Amino acid sequence: MPLYVYSIAAKDHPHRLDGVSGVGSDPSPLRTVTAGPLCAVVSDIAEEIRPKRRDLNVHQQVQELLMADGVILPLQFGYIATDDDAVRQALESNAENYLGALGRLDGCAEYHVRASQADEAPLLQQILQDLPEASDLNERIRGGDRDPSLPLVLGEMVAREVQVRQEALAAGLTEALVPFSREYLAHPPSRTDFLNLSLLVHDEHKEALRTAEVDLAREIGNDVDLRFSGPLPPYSFVQ
Amino acid sequence: MTMVPQGGGPVARGQGGGTSSLYDVLELILDRGLVIDVFVRVSLVGIELIKIDARIVVASVDTYLRFAEACNRLDLEAGRKAPAQLPDVMGNMMEGGARGKTKGAISGAVDAVTDSLTGKSSKSREPEEEEEAEEEVPRRRRPAARRPVRREKE
Repeated sequence: MPLYVYSIAAKDHPHRLDGVSGVGSDPSPLRTVTAGPLCAVVSDIAEEIRPKRRDLNVHQQVQELLMADGVILPLQFGYIATDDDAVRQALESNAENYLGALGRLDGCAEYHVRASQADEAPLLQQILQDLPEASDLNERIRGGDRDPSLPLVLGEMVAREVQVRQEALAAGLTEALVPFSREYLAHPPSRTDFLNLSLLVHDEHKEALRTAEVDLAREIGNDVDLRFSGPLPPYSFVQ
Repeated sequence: MTMVPQGGGPVARGQGGGTSSLYDVLELILDRGLVIDVFVRVSLVGIELIKIDARIVVASVDTYLRFAEACNRLDLEAGRKAPAQLPDVMGNMMEGGARGKTKGAISGAVDAVTDSLTGKSSKSREPEEEEEAEEEVPRRRRPAARRPVRREKE
């Protein structure tokens, strides 16, 4: 029977899974498949799994339940093994790497930080103040100058400046938070975000990180929307 | 989903739990995490939650026009409050540290910010600009698209 695979942990992880159901519209209880020093947390599936909101939540909740009791390697959403033997083989063939990763991540969790410009107006205002050329162009357009090239020239100038300033802010935020981490990973931000940062933080530093997050958010003001998530399973640091 | 308790203000936004918090960690759940090649991955075609593609916005006429219009609309006389800038953040954090309100962590953070300002570290990232919210198109994102920018060990 096919299995949905959630995560890998050491065999001696408590795996308190009683009464917890897995993914799918008719979910089966969670159980473990053990091979040597490792075990995988799985649930049987009888149908094709679709990336529904509920199943994404279940995947995440199982990781959070497990990580409360000890270090785990969370799988990416959506991996299916054909049967128990396939899981055992996967655990055995890569046991050394998995044990190494479990050791490296022990006592740590992932904290994820994003930032976006909540209110653009003050930033644009500051840019116009700092760049007389931009301010002049803006005044000409507002004064009724119909030259169609003016908005493009102004917009390009301002867009470039917005990018420069947001990158500086992202670099500063990164530098401020990274000292609390053992490892970190900055990804290209998506949509309107200008920061997408994952930190691997040991439990002994999490309070200091929280203090720093609160202080940064307060000091950075209302124009920037800083979003912190965590503690999370160490998705970004398992490979 | 477990979230860091926050002191209110801008941090609290987008953290109402449920949808918004899943939104921010969705990329982690779908695109990071351990991959076991011998297993089969379920199809992500039709994923209805959000689009998680990195924004690939380079210079575009639309972006320029949007910024120009936003500047034209600014009320230049009203409220000249300065936006958040790194020196302000740093200065305020230093004050905070000097008052002994926080110790250790923040001074470390300030040092780090100072380093970044004095160019001791160089950063480079993908080109990016603000953009209009795009229509959310269901997209499949393949693992090949994963592209860590930087990874360091402390």
